Amino acid sequence: MASGRDVRDMLGLPVGGETPKAAIQKRAKPAAPGKKIQGVAREVAALYGERPPPVAVYEEKKSYRAKRQSTGPAKKWVPQPFTNQARSDGLILKHWRRKPTSTPAATNGEDIAMEDTEISDSYIEDSSEFLKYNVAPDMPTFTEEEYDAYLRSDDWSREETDYLFQMIENYSYRWPVVWDRYDYQPSLKSHLPTSQEFPNDIEQALATLPFAPPKSRSVEDIKARFYEISAKLMKLRIPEVQMDADQYATYEILTKFDPVLERNRKTLASALMNRNMDEVKEEEFLLAELQRINMAANRLDAEREELRARLEAPIPNQQVSAGLASFTSSQALAALFSQLFQADRSKKRASGGGGVGPGRLSLSATDLMATPTSAQHAQLSAANRRQSLAQQAVQTPIRHLSPLAELRYNVSTHDRLTSGITFGADKLLKMRQAKSNVQTQKIGQALAQLGIADIISIPTAKVGDAFEALVTKVGKLLDVRKVREKEEGECRVLEAMKARRMSEIQSDENGGERRSTKREVSDSQDRDSADIGDDDDDDDADADADADGDADVDAEGEEEDEDAEGEEIESQMQSTRQASEVEVMSTRATSAGHKRSASVLSQVSTKSSKRPRK
Amino acid sequence: MNISNSTTAPNAGEYAGDEVSAIVLDPGYSTTRAGFAGEDVPKSVCPSFYGHIDSDPPHYLFGENAIHDPLGNLQIKNPWGSDGIVEDWDTATKVWEYAITSRLTGNRPGDPTKNGLNDGNANGNGEAMDVDMEGLENLENMEKPLEDSPLLMTEPGWNSVKAREKYIEIAMEEWGTPAFYVQKTGVLAAFASGKASGIVIDVGASHTSVTPVLDGMVLKKGVQKSPLAGNFVSNQIRMIFKQAQPEIPLTPHYLVKTKTPVDAGAPAQATYKTYDIPPLDSFRYNEEERVLTEFKESVVEVWPGPGRFTNGTNEEIAKSLPGRPFEMPDGWNQLFGSERYRVSEGLFDAGAALQDADNPRPKDEHTIPRLVQAAVQQVDADQRPLLLQNIVVTGGSTLLYKFNDRLNYEINTLYPSTRNKLIAPGPLVERKYAAWIGGSILASLGSFHQLWISRKEYEEHGTNIVEKRCR
Repeated sequence: MASGRDVRDMLGLPVGGETPKAAIQKRAKPAAPGKKIQGVAREVAALYGERPPPVAVYEEKKSYRAKRQSTGPAKKWVPQPFTNQARSDGLILKHWRRKPTSTPAATNGEDIAMEDTEISDSYIEDSSEFLKYNVAPDMPTFTEEEYDAYLRSDDWSREETDYLFQMIENYSYRWPVVWDRYDYQPSLKSHLPTSQEFPNDIEQALATLPFAPPKSRSVEDIKARFYEISAKLMKLRIPEVQMDADQYATYEILTKFDPVLERNRKTLASALMNRNMDEVKEEEFLLAELQRINMAANRLDAEREELRARLEAPIPNQQVSAGLASFTSSQALAALFSQLFQADRSKKRASGGGGVGPGRLSLSATDLMATPTSAQHAQLSAANRRQSLAQQAVQTPIRHLSPLAELRYNVSTHDRLTSGITFGADKLLKMRQAKSNVQTQKIGQALAQLGIADIISIPTAKVGDAFEALVTKVGKLLDVRKVREKEEGECRVLEAMKARRMSEIQSDENGGERRSTKREVSDSQDRDSADIGDDDDDDDADADADADGDADVDAEGEEEDEDAEGEEIESQMQSTRQASEVEVMSTRATSAGHKRSASVLSQVSTKSSKRPRK
Repeated sequence: MNISNSTTAPNAGEYAGDEVSAIVLDPGYSTTRAGFAGEDVPKSVCPSFYGHIDSDPPHYLFGENAIHDPLGNLQIKNPWGSDGIVEDWDTATKVWEYAITSRLTGNRPGDPTKNGLNDGNANGNGEAMDVDMEGLENLENMEKPLEDSPLLMTEPGWNSVKAREKYIEIAMEEWGTPAFYVQKTGVLAAFASGKASGIVIDVGASHTSVTPVLDGMVLKKGVQKSPLAGNFVSNQIRMIFKQAQPEIPLTPHYLVKTKTPVDAGAPAQATYKTYDIPPLDSFRYNEEERVLTEFKESVVEVWPGPGRFTNGTNEEIAKSLPGRPFEMPDGWNQLFGSERYRVSEGLFDAGAALQDADNPRPKDEHTIPRLVQAAVQQVDADQRPLLLQNIVVTGGSTLLYKFNDRLNYEINTLYPSTRNKLIAPGPLVERKYAAWIGGSILASLGSFHQLWISRKEYEEHGTNIVEKRCR
């Protein structure tokens, strides 16, 4: 009892003495009949011992079907005659019904039976139970005048029209059935005048028939005629303007029925159905293939995406395709500026309004006059700063110096400082290390090729930055080189494939003259300048062009690097092919400070600032 | 709970039935089925064959027991013609009447001339008897067997107008039914499977028919029939027996007195019965047909596909399958290997059918797949997929082992792009008597009563009312 109360207490239920009592009482009840168990069940119950089984075993009361209640003598059934109201001929059929029990209580059963049969003989039930199933189709009707005035048709005689209506009514608008049973035989009766004129010459009468002998009507013909008449009659009965929405919709459907279209549709449908096994299989195969191609394309896209991310090329759909180009218009620049200004202001507010001084590197209205490149620079650095802004929104104010002053006093700002003292040389050394030994070696080789000493004598911060930029580029260079090798391998395979195919085609061409001429024509269409003289050369050139094309696409657009000034990365890619250019590049990289466009540099610098953080 | 049993009336609206003790008569080439509407199997299934002893007057024998009794000079005939329409109306009427009266309405006392069983000792000749009967009928209408039962008859899908008019004439004039209706077997078979639309493939004894049914109406243009059915398979078996080396003897039961067991393929060791006045050849043929039916039931198998039996290595595969033994009534027995596939292959592949002088090569368009194709072709394009979803298979010959597998394969080959579904009821009775069961359902519906052609209407319009009403 105590435990029960505890539980109740824990559950926050009212501690009442009444509910358990009731429960006990309830529990006690089923136990009571248990004592009255008789026979074998009692023995079984004894085997349970003191503990009753977990599942209560109730003995069902013996469930024989209830004894039939004797309610007097057997009920009498009589074949009750009835008429069906749906019939007009008064056919009397008999179905079995209980004899009406209105008979008076009598002593002699036989007499009653006699009486009742007499009664039921005279009484005929009027069955309307199934009257609701006797439905007639709703048909449009027309008079002679209406027919003459509106419904005449060159193709359909009046008689055939009537026949059509009769058929439709008979088969309740089941068009396939109507069509199936449609067998109109024009009788000579309708052409009575003609046959009267030539009573002796039936042949001539037939020849002068106004209508051609019965033609086979298609479902569409039948429908078209009926819909046409229905629409006309509908319009006659209710003018178009007075139709309500439903009626007008019906009218529209009726008027817009196009038998030709319908016929074409059916032809297509049956063609679809009559495909043979091969075609069905082919369709299945093509669908599977399509799915496979889609999946492969997705995978390829993902791979490309990954590659782009590695090269850190500008994501094409961000802003306008090129990063710089987006800021050429004054509007875009203004937008950008306002954005940055806003960001800066919020930062200013967060830092407690400090740093209003002139030396601080912050945006002011005058900055708008800056060149696009500087704006780009600003944007990127601002973007960078905004990232860090989120992390260190609340910080002690930093006194900002102008860049010149910073340079002068050799002041550098760091987002985060590692504890302890590090040597610049160590930092530079660390940069040479890559994750894998091979990569480290490669980086070392590249640097050696550039003529950079293993140990840089005075590793100032500036030198460090430059070195970092260089190493990053070398890293990219190596990446690109790897990709290029892969692509070249692919190209070789494709070329080999193409060459083989060409040789096959050529062997074909040797076989048949016509085909080769055909090919030449198509080739000349492909490339105007191509020399059509020799097929073999032509094919090779073709293959080359193709391979080039492939390489172009895969290696992120070689075409671009020829004209793009600012795209340093692409230019590097090209430079991988010529060692001399590498050297040029290295001079560029080392003397990055003044010559290169600021954008690329800043890009690199942002990266360098990110790296230690990671 | 109101437990319904035979003594309580069904609840209102429980089913749309309203039974008027109508009789459903489903005559076929092999058997004639008759029974009360609302029951689930025909009570009376009689052979359509009848015995005829050419005496004066001719002596007719009806019913299962009578026609297998080897009486002298007995010949077995069938009132149906080779085109699947009744040919001999007089005896057809008698056969049908026997089917109705023998088990359903009962032989009325004092009517010995009517059932034809005692015709032998009745009047002088047929004409005189007819006159007599008519006189009797006019005198006493109670003598007509269907006085108080409406009659629903079934007819094949290709029945002629003349035949239909004859049906109603027989029912009204000779049997005195108060109401009559005739419906096509295809529609009824579809109803028996609970379908109002579908293609009914009915492989019976004399004919195979394919009937497209739409909303309970036969599409007449699509009805196809062919003689490649049960009897065709029997003929194929006969040919197999004949062409076997040595020839397989086909001895019907009635000729065998005793038999002793023999080894497989060994000649039979049996003593045979002899008759002073033997029955005629047609009797023997009919008895042989019984043995062949047994053979079809126990040995014959349809090549289930894929591919036809004669295609590729199928024949080799069939040879490697275990054979089935069969013992003739005289004790001769053998294991039947790939021949058992061969005999039924003609139903699907005309080229594979055995042929000889009496049995020419069946026409290609008579094979079942071609029939189905032709039937579907005659249906409006929009309805075809619907029909192919409800392919009802019925008829005794569809009980051939693996018949449905093969049919399914053939139809899926014909129409690979639609969803084809075979509806073949499992129970033997439902397969054999589908048309009767459909008729039983139809005639017991309350809403059907408005469709009956009543005697009054018949008297008013004459026999051609059947064309107007039974569409």
